[in-house]
Amino acid sequence: MTSNHDNASSKSKVSSPKVKMSNLAKREERLAFRLLLPALLIIAIIAFYPLAQVFYTSFTDRVFASGQETNFIGFDNYQQLLSVHITTLDPVIDEATGEIMIDPETGQKVYERPLDVLPREPSRYREFNQFSLFGNRYVVGATDPSFIQSVSNTITFTVVSVFLELVLGLAIALVVNSKFRFRGSMRAAMLVPWAVITVVSARMWEWMLAPSRIGMFNALFDWMGVIDSPIAFLASGTYQLPAMIAVDVWKTTPFMALLLLAGLQIMPEDIFEAAEIDGAGKIRQFITITLPLLKPAIVVALIFRTLDALRVFDIFQVMLGQSQYSMASYNYFQLIGNRNMGLASAIGVIIFILIFLFAISYIKMLGVDQE
Amino acid sequence: MKKSSGTFGVLKRFGFNFMIIFILVYLLFPFYWAVNSSLKTESQLFMTPATAIPRDPATLEFSPTMQNYSAVLRDGQFLRGLANSSIVATSTTVLALIAGSFAAFALGKLRFRGRRPALYLILAMTMFPQVTVLTGLYAVITALGLSARVSMIFAYMIFTLPFTTWVLTSFFKELPDALMESAQVDGATTFQTFKSILLPLTAPALVTTGLLAFIAAWNEYLFALTFTSIDPTARTVPVAIAYFAGAVARQEPFGEIMAAASLVTVPLVVLVLIFQRRIVTGLTAGAVKG
Repeated sequence: MTSNHDNASSKSKVSSPKVKMSNLAKREERLAFRLLLPALLIIAIIAFYPLAQVFYTSFTDRVFASGQETNFIGFDNYQQLLSVHITTLDPVIDEATGEIMIDPETGQKVYERPLDVLPREPSRYREFNQFSLFGNRYVVGATDPSFIQSVSNTITFTVVSVFLELVLGLAIALVVNSKFRFRGSMRAAMLVPWAVITVVSARMWEWMLAPSRIGMFNALFDWMGVIDSPIAFLASGTYQLPAMIAVDVWKTTPFMALLLLAGLQIMPEDIFEAAEIDGAGKIRQFITITLPLLKPAIVVALIFRTLDALRVFDIFQVMLGQSQYSMASYNYFQLIGNRNMGLASAIGVIIFILIFLFAISYIKMLGVDQE
Repeated sequence: MKKSSGTFGVLKRFGFNFMIIFILVYLLFPFYWAVNSSLKTESQLFMTPATAIPRDPATLEFSPTMQNYSAVLRDGQFLRGLANSSIVATSTTVLALIAGSFAAFALGKLRFRGRRPALYLILAMTMFPQVTVLTGLYAVITALGLSARVSMIFAYMIFTLPFTTWVLTSFFKELPDALMESAQVDGATTFQTFKSILLPLTAPALVTTGLLAFIAAWNEYLFALTFTSIDPTARTVPVAIAYFAGAVARQEPFGEIMAAASLVTVPLVVLVLIFQRRIVTGLTAGAVKG
């Protein structure tokens, strides 16, 4: 761009190149603002107030749907949600023998009760979990263990499902991008999982995962002889998260695949032709050409998938109810069940911050958006 | 795929076809199960073990029922829901694509101060969970006095606009600058260049983001449930399905829900079939050479 204008201005001696550039830059800037205007207007009208309200409410004790007076309480909601305390659990000494007490049934050392050692101020800490390190026993306490659990559930869910979706989505996009006979129908079929209404798809999977042979999976596994008795996929702690991940991967892989496919589609074919002539193999072409060119599409797809995964609500709410929370379903429980709007807003802000961190780290890690 | 010959070629084609079949089964089987369930009566649904096709409980012969479908179609709610969903999802998509592609062109191709903050501001509007923004959003909509359908269209901007903007920005950025410059040398204004050269080039991206945004709007439940609470005639399909009352009062009408889900998915697939031509052709390859 620069060279063109330098040429043009050197011919016309009146205007110096600098002035001409800045004029052009100004025009470009004005056009940019005008183009951004519709989007910014929509944000201003529809999003500004609700988002500002969430931030504000998170510092209050507002009660949902009530005339009760609202007080400003600073960071109390955040403290309530995020306070974590780790402390050692000492073995219990048998007073009669002066030795460490051993559980006669399990043969394990007996430790103090977590509730006795965890702090009670400013509010009571309850046990989140325990672990052993270098022969010592530790307990992790939190003022809101359900929330800490929901954070860990949500992050595990997000990392595993987004990773699987990326791998599967990329594979599907590559397959569909090659030319074969039923490509058109394949592209349409590919979108079916994404097209099934989310709430209904949660119901559908709930039915398929039913804890008896009414459910497709138990009937199938039983028929294959893999299991002796039906598995309660949605009730047992071992299977709850894997089941959620499986459902989400099935439902949203098409989203990932289609976005990556569009990225593959706008790649100029001549690069591949040139690589072919140079004798680069398919795998080399993929690593040295396809992946780097696809990076921007991958980043955007990752950001939006992660954003949705961190806010996952429907499937947890419908399939697990209150037996296991995601951050958003815990948020819903606090707002609708406990009517604790201040606390619910604080959860919203924490989710917001988490999403922001993920988005920034994708952009930084994959080195996109460098001017 | 190039036609390769010999044993290796056959093997390769076989492997490729196997992969396609595997992908199709993985993606379609749960939907097949929904269709299968929709063709079963209440008692067939509760048969153990579950059957892969609707069978008569006594004779185990193939015996599908259409009762769920006729119940769904007789329900005026559902058909009105289809109309509402079409209006809301189409308007949302068009609005999100127009505002989004304008913004994306500015963000992806023009130089101006505040580019990065604008990009993140747009993304930030979608980073809160829906439940959290619901009360504030409801207040805005009541204050503006919007009807239920219009409220949904505007509310859905919260998740569709950042999506279209970000995806299209990344695609605009990929287009070579030389393209814009040569058009400008030819005397086209920046906006003309955008409209008649860059926009057609990103057609595959436009169609893709449009489809994904359309489906996201089509499937949205929580906002729709809240905003249509005062106007039941504006209920969209997901809400209409949630309001299905079973023939047996205490039982949720699972068969009917599955029938409705199957009926709703079909038009979407047809839509994709129509638009996928645009994704395939993608006028790009030749023109980008510059």
